[in-house]
Amino acid sequence: MSYENPDVPHAVNVARGSPVAEFLRLVAALLAVLLLCGAVLYLGGEHLARHVPFALEQRWVGDRVLGFEALVQRDADAGPEVEGYLQRLSDGLSATMRLPAGMHVRVHYADAGVPNAFATLGGHVVVTRGLLERMPSENALAMVLAHEIGHVRARDPIAALGGGASLALLLAAAGDDAGRLAPQVATLIQRGHSRVAERRADEAALEALERFYGHAGGAAEVFRRLARESPFDSRLPSMLATHPSDDERIARLEAAAEGWDATRQPLRPLALPSGGPRRPPSTAGRRGDP
Amino acid sequence: MELLIELGAFLVLLVVGLVFGRASERRHFRDIERREALLRDVLVFTERRPPPDGEFRDAALVVGSVVIAEDYFKRIAAALRGLFGGRVSVYESLMDRGRREAVLRMKEEARRRGATLVFNVRFETASLSEDSSGRSPMFSAEFLAYGTALVPR
Repeated sequence: MSYENPDVPHAVNVARGSPVAEFLRLVAALLAVLLLCGAVLYLGGEHLARHVPFALEQRWVGDRVLGFEALVQRDADAGPEVEGYLQRLSDGLSATMRLPAGMHVRVHYADAGVPNAFATLGGHVVVTRGLLERMPSENALAMVLAHEIGHVRARDPIAALGGGASLALLLAAAGDDAGRLAPQVATLIQRGHSRVAERRADEAALEALERFYGHAGGAAEVFRRLARESPFDSRLPSMLATHPSDDERIARLEAAAEGWDATRQPLRPLALPSGGPRRPPSTAGRRGDP
Repeated sequence: MELLIELGAFLVLLVVGLVFGRASERRHFRDIERREALLRDVLVFTERRPPPDGEFRDAALVVGSVVIAEDYFKRIAAALRGLFGGRVSVYESLMDRGRREAVLRMKEEARRRGATLVFNVRFETASLSEDSSGRSPMFSAEFLAYGTALVPR
């Protein structure tokens, strides 16, 4: 009887593939699964939030204009006059936009140099002085207002809140560290998705403009003007930008204004109390005022 | 910011684990293969009884033991693998090193005694990572090989 030992086989227990490649594959798969879960949750939250009755949303929010404080203190001096004008214009536009029963949009004027307008919870819309100063005509201003009313009608502010909240809930449940990621993940998903909402709001605004003035002229001017002084690179690919890229947007608005004759249907000037948004004397040192 | 620091620390640990862990594993495997060739003439068997026709001067218990720790990269890669299932290849190579090193150390002891055969070889593996809190800090395992060394007359 003879005894011998064979060589120890090396390849049985030692995998030949690179462990790094395997690791990266697994990480990619995990991220894909997480992102998919996040997107499903976000969209689900959005969908559910849109079904919250508007009356309930209004009761929760009341007179508070969320996001307003972050921008600037409400302008007490020029407020009432300018706000009155904005409100009348908004009411006129709202009447053409077939808002659901009980939905009413309230416009607020913020004394801030940054050109900005946004719709927030409870049917509140905020317009800044900076935006008003840059508006060439009432038609342009109406385009902005109708766009924001379109957001309110589509329930976009509460949808964004609902999506963010359901995502935050998942991440908070997943763990302490993950919970802190919620805002970043929410912005990432929202950024891609909100382009659809922006386009819808633009379409709603154009429709309102057509009904209100009989033409959609002057709408493209808003974005042409803002794009010129935009601090951001407006040539960012649309996938990255929250709002559709300016060029693309201007092209769409110009297409909508086709057939508009500027001589027969002139643009209306802004009918502000003192011919333009009045700068209150005590603007020095105010936040947001360059 | 805090998040970035934590993420950075995690990535640094991961890279350190990957670079040093792979280097030491490669070195260890080279060493194992070299010594396996040197100790080929010490034969090991799991058979319980020595060959009936052999004549032996002496018999003794020989033991080889080694403890091997994982690195941070292996730990994370194994945790990821645990989510999806499948071969945990990063631990397969670690366990392989441990078993072969234990046999080699046992063979080295057998050779010191002048033995040419080790019979009734058995393996034991013990994980050193578990503690009472249920959270394992770092995985490491002891590999033990033992058998009866027979010294020819």
